Amino acid sequence: MTHHPLRKLQALSALSSAVWGLCAASLLIPLSGFAQDSAVDQDDSITVAVRRLTESQYKNTIRDLFGDGIEINARFEPEQRENGLLAIGSATLSLTSSGFEQYFVLASSISDQVLGEERRASIMPCEPRSNVSDSACATEFISHIGSQLFRRPLSDAEIAARVQTAELGASQAEDFYAGLKLALTSLLVAPEFLFRIEQAEPDPEVAGRYRLDAYSKASRLSFMFWDTTPDAELLAAAGDGSLHGNAGLSAQLERLSRSPRMEAGARAFFEDMMQLDGFGNMVKDPAIYPKFNQLVADSAKEQMLKTVIDQLIVDQGDYRDLFTSNETFINRPLASVYQVPYISGEEWAEYEFPEDSDRAGILTQVGFLSLWAHPGTSSPTRRGIKIHEIFMCEPTPDPPADVDFSQVTDSEAGTVRGRLLDHMENTGCTVCHQRSDPPGLALEHFDGLGQLRKMENGQLIDVSADLFGKTFVGAKGLAEYLHDDPRAPSCLVRNVYAYGVAKAPGYQEREYLQQQAQVFADTGYRFASLFKQIAMTPEFFAVQLPEGLESAVASSDSAAQQD
Amino acid sequence: MSSRFNRRSLLRGMIGGATVSMGIPLLDLFLNENGTAFADGAPIPTRFGTYFWGLGLTDTPTGGTRWVPETVGPGYEITPELQALAAVKDKVSVFSGFRAIPDGRPNLVHWSGHASILSGVAPSSTGRFEGASFDTRVADALGGTTRFKVLDIDASVSRRPISYSTRSGSTFASPDVTPLDLYQRLFGEGFQDPNSDDWQPNPDIMLRQSVLSAVTDQRKALMDSVGHEDQIKLEQYFTSVRDMENQLAIQLQKPEPREACVIPTPPNEIERAASVDVVNANTKVMARLLAMGLACNQTRVFNFVHTGGTSETYIAGNSKIYHQITHDEPTDAQLGFQPETSKLAGLVMEGLGAFLNEIDGVKEGDGTLLDNCLICAFSDTGYAKIHSIENIPMFLAGGAGGRHKAGQHIHAPGESVTRVSLTAMQLAGAPVGEFGDGSMRTSRPVSEVMA
Amino acid sequence: MSQTRLNKQRISVMRSVFCAIAITAPASALADWTKSWVIEWNEPAHYYGAETGVIDPGTDCPQGTNPELDWVEVLVKAGYTREEAEWLRNPANPTRSPVHGQQQMAFRGEGRANVYINPESYPDTGLAGVTGSIAEGINLDGNTDTGFVSPDGEAGIDNTFYKALGCWKTYRGPERLSSGALQFNDIMRNGSWTMLIVASGKGEDPMNDENVMVGFYMSQDNMVKGGDGNVAADYTFRIEPHKKYEGIFPAQTINGTIVSTESVTATLRDPGYTRDLELLDAQVKLTMNKDGSLRGYVGGYRPWRPVYDGWVYARGPVIESLTWVELPSVYYALKREADYSPEGSGGERTHISYALRVDALPAYVVTPDASALATEVRSYKDEAPELPAMARGSLGTIRVVDGIVIDPRSEYQPGPDAVILPE
Repeated sequence: MTHHPLRKLQALSALSSAVWGLCAASLLIPLSGFAQDSAVDQDDSITVAVRRLTESQYKNTIRDLFGDGIEINARFEPEQRENGLLAIGSATLSLTSSGFEQYFVLASSISDQVLGEERRASIMPCEPRSNVSDSACATEFISHIGSQLFRRPLSDAEIAARVQTAELGASQAEDFYAGLKLALTSLLVAPEFLFRIEQAEPDPEVAGRYRLDAYSKASRLSFMFWDTTPDAELLAAAGDGSLHGNAGLSAQLERLSRSPRMEAGARAFFEDMMQLDGFGNMVKDPAIYPKFNQLVADSAKEQMLKTVIDQLIVDQGDYRDLFTSNETFINRPLASVYQVPYISGEEWAEYEFPEDSDRAGILTQVGFLSLWAHPGTSSPTRRGIKIHEIFMCEPTPDPPADVDFSQVTDSEAGTVRGRLLDHMENTGCTVCHQRSDPPGLALEHFDGLGQLRKMENGQLIDVSADLFGKTFVGAKGLAEYLHDDPRAPSCLVRNVYAYGVAKAPGYQEREYLQQQAQVFADTGYRFASLFKQIAMTPEFFAVQLPEGLESAVASSDSAAQQD
Repeated sequence: MSSRFNRRSLLRGMIGGATVSMGIPLLDLFLNENGTAFADGAPIPTRFGTYFWGLGLTDTPTGGTRWVPETVGPGYEITPELQALAAVKDKVSVFSGFRAIPDGRPNLVHWSGHASILSGVAPSSTGRFEGASFDTRVADALGGTTRFKVLDIDASVSRRPISYSTRSGSTFASPDVTPLDLYQRLFGEGFQDPNSDDWQPNPDIMLRQSVLSAVTDQRKALMDSVGHEDQIKLEQYFTSVRDMENQLAIQLQKPEPREACVIPTPPNEIERAASVDVVNANTKVMARLLAMGLACNQTRVFNFVHTGGTSETYIAGNSKIYHQITHDEPTDAQLGFQPETSKLAGLVMEGLGAFLNEIDGVKEGDGTLLDNCLICAFSDTGYAKIHSIENIPMFLAGGAGGRHKAGQHIHAPGESVTRVSLTAMQLAGAPVGEFGDGSMRTSRPVSEVMA
Repeated sequence: MSQTRLNKQRISVMRSVFCAIAITAPASALADWTKSWVIEWNEPAHYYGAETGVIDPGTDCPQGTNPELDWVEVLVKAGYTREEAEWLRNPANPTRSPVHGQQQMAFRGEGRANVYINPESYPDTGLAGVTGSIAEGINLDGNTDTGFVSPDGEAGIDNTFYKALGCWKTYRGPERLSSGALQFNDIMRNGSWTMLIVASGKGEDPMNDENVMVGFYMSQDNMVKGGDGNVAADYTFRIEPHKKYEGIFPAQTINGTIVSTESVTATLRDPGYTRDLELLDAQVKLTMNKDGSLRGYVGGYRPWRPVYDGWVYARGPVIESLTWVELPSVYYALKREADYSPEGSGGERTHISYALRVDALPAYVVTPDASALATEVRSYKDEAPELPAMARGSLGTIRVVDGIVIDPRSEYQPGPDAVILPE
């Protein structure tokens, strides 16, 4: 794929951005004057990416804009993981009819709550002059809330359409707010809200090139660092163009990464990267693992996230120590699974795996061990595959279609190691299993729920592993191995970049990612500054023209000529 | 596409005018346009209801179950206490093993079980739920366009009216308790005959349309500058919007005559006795009225109580009531269950059988009214002798317009009852992704029964 | 580039208690070993002498469980006309209160006295007691010549509570299947109360240790059920100091069985309507199983009148109808079999020998402040808050007076002078 230089360029109206900057600083001012300029800009803009908001981004946005008390209950359409990340999958998702219906009902319910009698005073930028009609106030509300929902100022047409909806509804119900609710609903079901529509504009400094526009940059940063919509300050930095400059960008990155909301962003990232969305659907055979219940599943996920946040964000630790550190958190249900007392009256307590416990690092937590196992047994293969996929960015292909699994699934006899040896005799299997199984076999002291065991079916479990000549023993050996393997931090760098830009890196980004991995290593593998590091590089905002856009741009130009 | 723009320009003209009356003239404008645009193919709506009966079914700790089928999955066998469901068995899914999990709160007898099913939370005191019952969420999604958002019916002939439907958790609905009351409500004053000539469109639907047209107005601006892949995604989005616009437009048309809708004659007053034969007769009569209420589009959501949690029903001539018998009757050593209790459970299930047969007896489209319903039937307890809230019998009946893969037995010991509640909501089309609290919080519907 | 450390308190990660030290450090020097459990099931230790069923005739009760009564006959005998009695027993009639009591049944004593509070105003109509020779429990008085023989042959088992009430339907049935046991354990397992057992000793071998202390404590932490619906093992429970419910037993272990070395006074939470299980001369006999569980008996002499009152306040007419007894006959049976006079009772046998069978799962028990494992078995009563005044007379939200429900909304009010038949 190559960049298509545009033959025809128009000068950017820097003025319009400046005007928005003023408006954004005091969002209560109606934006009609500005919006005209924006409409002119849009003629030059091209859409370079369309990503559906994730469930958590949607919920965080609504709560940030309208308050924690808003009840958001809807069935969000399933997300899709591609190239290891839901973030990458989000760029391929649209909405089905039934999904849209869900969003529509949800939007109505949010509007009812936001503009209900209790809340409206705190939300409204103006007081209607009449109980039924006040188009100035309606305009003000729509442009004010709309710019926060669309993450950019609204065009005249976008405002006008909603003002008319509001007027119609208000007259019908003889109630100003009934009309405004419809307008808000219309904003909440708009593609400009439900999708992150990233726009590029001609780069004023390099003729023939495009750059991500400032509002798209602001959204990219905000959703990456905080997992939510840009706040007023970030929108202002987009509006006044300062986000395009190094100093302005650097100042915002500093602010974003120092904020306590960085925790939410990091949680969202690790939830995605470590594929923790699987806990909601986890099933265990109650006859084999009677301690398992939904509380255990939820707790196991939370333990992983608490561990990551504490070590990487709070303590600003070395990413690699996540594999080896004994420090974590437990609660009462988890203590039962780990078979230790819960010495705390609080809901969660810090906990350190004892030296003699066989456990070290995130891979020995109940979360990882139970998620990547079968309902009734452990699975060295699944665990091994996921270690490679999640932490080394090395996916495993699906098994060949003609494998006889009957022997492997007979868990009544011997240890799983013996059963897996059968694979090794089949050359079609060997190629993957010789890579996937050894790390998993090192974790075999933990059953399908992650409980410690030394025996399986009366036989002592051997936890030694040989991975292409590298030998290690047990979970701790595996932890050391991963800690020292440079593929792990490189994989994290790749995932952070891919998560931020919501795109799987291609061959052309290889060198860039290698450089970034080196910087990450040179600065001590500090995850806490990795977002900032990546977002500061020009590659983070680089524009890749989507296929088929050239003609669209050309037709837009010709339309402009006809005008 | 063009019709929508026309409509908007009409709207602009109207609103631009100084003295606009938003009454009927405007409605006519909408209608004139839509009347030709969507002349055929109105979809049959999905209806939703709950059906409650008291005192569970027989499944004892000694192992003698009288209701849980042995077969799991499709084609389950009819067990003794499910006999009354035989005629509609392929339209009913059976859920066994599900339990209410109070997370340390006490088991409030004859209360915690159905409170958990309905509100997703085990309550801390009898007489209250800690949250709305889930039928209200379905009513919010389905019930907006009919005369009654929801109908509450109590056939139990109890001392006080029984309803478990609540929005606040403390105030419960006031049900109709006699067939005559129900008849008056449905077909008395204010009845809108869908087959009569003076049909009126619902102005709320037009308002919803205007919400969407504000969105689709921006379509061109949005589609102008996107690449191929993004264009496909946005096209799908706008197709979804259009599907919804079509749905709304259909609702603005005068509906096709509803052949199924035949206004019934007023019922006779029934005997005021709580014996099971009277309650079942009452159930049948009220089910028939309800079925016509649904067929005549008076409501799309209902809650039906057959007998209350502390059921007062009894076999006529017997000095002991059912509730007492569940507690005092010993388990028969040979049979492995309480014979009298099981007999009563079977009689009580005849109520559910009669109810479903009535709904299934109304032809609608290519199938029956039941095919377009999703009815969630459940009780307050599992093993009533000890007020167990484990293995509470639950059923989902009806095809939900094709969404319900009915006729299955789902056996999931230890799983939360809220999973079935969530499944019911989603099959009915309510926008709910998560339900319940604590250990009963779930985002996992029972996917096996979802088409 | 200068890094700003995030303020930890602003991050929602709990960091107040660092517990690793407490867990890995050796236990305090007070005991060399500690084991702890949570009671997941407990019921009166009643030996079921039949092969099958729950009410069949057996060696314990040759006539089977006490049979159902014909309440019309009972009422007629008590002086009501047959017409009145039939009216009272007909569920279609308004005399059935909203909570299903046949309230007027209370008034069948002499002069229509309330038999629940005046049982002696009514004759002893006889509750068949246990006639078998086998019983579970403990030899409380050390005398092998009195009492039952245990199922495994130990003589001198004292359990006249079983003798008195063992053929009553509520109390009769195989383990975990009598209706009373099912009812109260279900309530307990759903979180109404939790009782813990802690044993500690100073010897080398916990299975054979001459110097053992066993503590029974309450906990505010609920048992948790796992995916299979059973109580899950290995959960942690805090001791909740309680002014009343606590038992401290000096004991020894012999081949894994904990037996009392002296009798004590203890009060446990009763799995029954009585609530208080007060035991004089109390002892334990508990076996530590290989799988970590614990099973056995707590025995002693309990006051019998509160047992009777417990049933009365559970709504006399409801209990009588559901459990097939006349409560006055329960009163007479307990009085008849009472076998213990504590000091100061003037020789009156106010107490009756009793045993509670206990099944407990391994659990971690920690001190009330959750700061450490509870390794020391001692009384926590001094740290307990004062108990609220006993509020007799209400059963949940129902107001019970003299064994019957007062429903002010009801048109019909029972009483000695109530008009039974409608005009």
